[in-house]
Amino acid sequence: MDEQQLRIFVGIIQHYFEQETGRPAEVGSPYLCDPSQLPVHDFTGVIGISGNRKGCVYFSSPREILREMLLRAGESDVSDENLADLAGEIANTISGNARREFGHEFLISVPIVVRGTHQSISVPRDVRAYVIPFRWHKVDASLVVSVM
Amino acid sequence: MFGIDLGKYRTIVISIALFLLFDLGVLVLNFFISSEIASDAVNVNLAGRQRMLTQRTAKLTLQLQNRAEAGVPQEVELKELIGAFSLFDRTLSAFESGGETASGDGKPIRIAAVDDAIAQSILAEARKLWDPYKSRISAVIERGRADPDAAGALVVQAEAANLPLLKLMNDLTTRVEELAASKATLLRAVQVAGISLATANFLIILFHFIRHLRESDRELERARKETDDILRTTQDGLFLLDGSAVIGVQHSAALEKVLGTKTLAGRSFYDIISPAVTPKTLDTTREYIDLLLRHDVKEKLVASLNPLECVEVSIAQGPGEAESRYLQFGFNRVFESGKVTHLLVTANDITRRVRLERELKASEERAKGQMGLLVEILQVEPATMNQLLRSAQEGLQHINRQLREQGSAREVGGETINAIYRITHRIKGDSAALGLASLATSLHSLEDILTGLRERPVLSGEDFLPVTVRVKGLFEEIEAMHQAVARVAQIRGVISVEAPRPQHDPGVEALPFVKRWKDFATRLADEHARKVELGYHGIDMETLPESLRESINSMVNQFIRNSLVHGIEDGDTRKRRGKPEAGRISVYISARDDGGVDLSFRDDGQGISVSKVREAAVRAGRLTAEEAAAMDSRRIVGLIFEPGLSTRETVDEDGGRGAGLDSVKALVMQLGGQIRIGSTPGEYCHFRLSLGALPSLARTVSEDEKEAEEAAA
Repeated sequence: MDEQQLRIFVGIIQHYFEQETGRPAEVGSPYLCDPSQLPVHDFTGVIGISGNRKGCVYFSSPREILREMLLRAGESDVSDENLADLAGEIANTISGNARREFGHEFLISVPIVVRGTHQSISVPRDVRAYVIPFRWHKVDASLVVSVM
Repeated sequence: MFGIDLGKYRTIVISIALFLLFDLGVLVLNFFISSEIASDAVNVNLAGRQRMLTQRTAKLTLQLQNRAEAGVPQEVELKELIGAFSLFDRTLSAFESGGETASGDGKPIRIAAVDDAIAQSILAEARKLWDPYKSRISAVIERGRADPDAAGALVVQAEAANLPLLKLMNDLTTRVEELAASKATLLRAVQVAGISLATANFLIILFHFIRHLRESDRELERARKETDDILRTTQDGLFLLDGSAVIGVQHSAALEKVLGTKTLAGRSFYDIISPAVTPKTLDTTREYIDLLLRHDVKEKLVASLNPLECVEVSIAQGPGEAESRYLQFGFNRVFESGKVTHLLVTANDITRRVRLERELKASEERAKGQMGLLVEILQVEPATMNQLLRSAQEGLQHINRQLREQGSAREVGGETINAIYRITHRIKGDSAALGLASLATSLHSLEDILTGLRERPVLSGEDFLPVTVRVKGLFEEIEAMHQAVARVAQIRGVISVEAPRPQHDPGVEALPFVKRWKDFATRLADEHARKVELGYHGIDMETLPESLRESINSMVNQFIRNSLVHGIEDGDTRKRRGKPEAGRISVYISARDDGGVDLSFRDDGQGISVSKVREAAVRAGRLTAEEAAAMDSRRIVGLIFEPGLSTRETVDEDGGRGAGLDSVKALVMQLGGQIRIGSTPGEYCHFRLSLGALPSLARTVSEDEKEAEEAAA
């Protein structure tokens, strides 16, 4: 995954936050991370990538961010179900945009939402993943791109 | 028949037609004979009535006579006589030659003349009797009344004719009844014959066709089973598409696996592939299939347009994980009467093939890339190279930590950039110093990015994205170099077991054990009319435990003896081979980091002759000639460590008993280790022994020696 492609993923997240909350998410400096130490927060929307390159992209948020987003949208029900739905919506947005941007390069799966630890997130082994930290409403979330 | 090709149904159609023909014949005959019987029944009735009319006429003549004699009116009797007389007469005529009469209920009825000879003779006799009788009656009727004389004469006539006429009419009735009975018998015979023929025909149809049908069924069953077997066992996905691109009712079992979908029969092909392909591919597929279904387009012309020749599909595997598979669809037209009715489609999973092709291509690309890298790597001492790579990797990890520690801070301090720059610059300098141009170039490109960032007044985390991407690339580059270094080490191991060259320390040459080896070599050389020089590099043997020292000493002595007896050539031979007159023996001993000891012993003699060892093995009875011929060179050379095997044909104090190198092997086994042999016939022989790790040795290795080892590793 080259710089341009990473920027597209970053752009999708930034645009989503700006569009939905009117407040952009701050992007931290990206770094590399071994698969065993990848950051995983409370709710993670995972998109599988296959084709010439194989792996996954996920956006993981702590519940605080999702709860705040729901409240701002006028939604008072901040149950885990609703938070997971929102995480799914973010993942769908990433997936939909990514499919439009990279449809000719990769095959992008329908996203799924994983709660809690990353044991059920399957990332390629032996690949250093890019971690791009995001901060919104003083809380950190992470975009992880792990593609062989 | 009627221009219709009945094919295999021709016989059955003919048989059924015959069956109907028989039935129709029976029906027509039945109809005809039945009508005959019906008319015979009328005749029987009429003949019976004639009997009655004879009696009645006779009775009326008597009544008429009584009336005439009594002189009373006789109109009633006369009228009745006219009725009976004329009915009898008309009926008689009708029997004779056909004509009209009255039926039992008085209605006119036409009957045919009785065509039976016997009946006609009866009628002829009756006519003879009737005509005079008729004349008398007619005369009375014409007068309108009967006087007693005329009545008497009529009675006389009646008495004469009555009984014979009655008998004749009786005979006629009987005869007509017989005729009717014989026709009924004929009718039954015809019916029996017709039904028998029809039944026989039916049985023929039954047996003939049941046999044929059974054979047909068996053939169909066999064909069906073959088709089922093919569809069940073929690894290809096979199915038919109709004109609407709907999958047929049958398909191969493999198809479900290939497409990853069950229940395919009757479904639209487009519905099945649409989730897996792009809308554009789907559209092209529609157009392609439409073209194939048109019989006016040549199949070969459109074959190259197949959009599903190699199509990539994504199959969900688990949470967030998708697997890419490559499918190949082939389309062939199925013709019927010159028209394309179906398409036979083959679907295959060619994922493995595609992946192998791609891996091969990638591997070729890598190999190209690595060639330049290998050239650079080969110019650097392995230890120095490893040190640089370790240092570079640590540097990159440090850079990554710097990036990570920034976290999601919006503004990044210039100090971070400076720190990253310093590390990058250091690695670049080290790389350039070793002539690793490609690595230095990559690092330089990272420096350029960092310089650009340094000039910006405000930095956000995202600005570091190119840095992270470059760092990842550098990690991969360094890993590739590590792999290349490992490969070079492997290649070096295969080409030669040349011992690492330590820095020369002239002092070691003077050590007592070295002197003993030199003396021993010189003595043996003198004995065998050779010249030799023994050189030593490595550690002081005195630092080793005594038992190990003795073992090594013993092994070196054996190798020296082996060299002088089998290896070092005489002066003339050496000159011919372009070698210095004096043979050269190099001994090197080093202590490894793991506590083991490496011993290297090399001479520049004639090397090991595989053919001589092979002969010796056969001579010693260790191998048969065939076994020896079949054994590869490596294993043959290994035999020189076997007891009782010598290539020398004569035995003396120094060799020929085959008891030298096997003792070396025994010592190596005792100490735990391995032996490697390198040799080029006519050039050199090199034994390299790795002896087991002994904890006590590790402590005795000096720092200088460690460095020497690293440099040579």
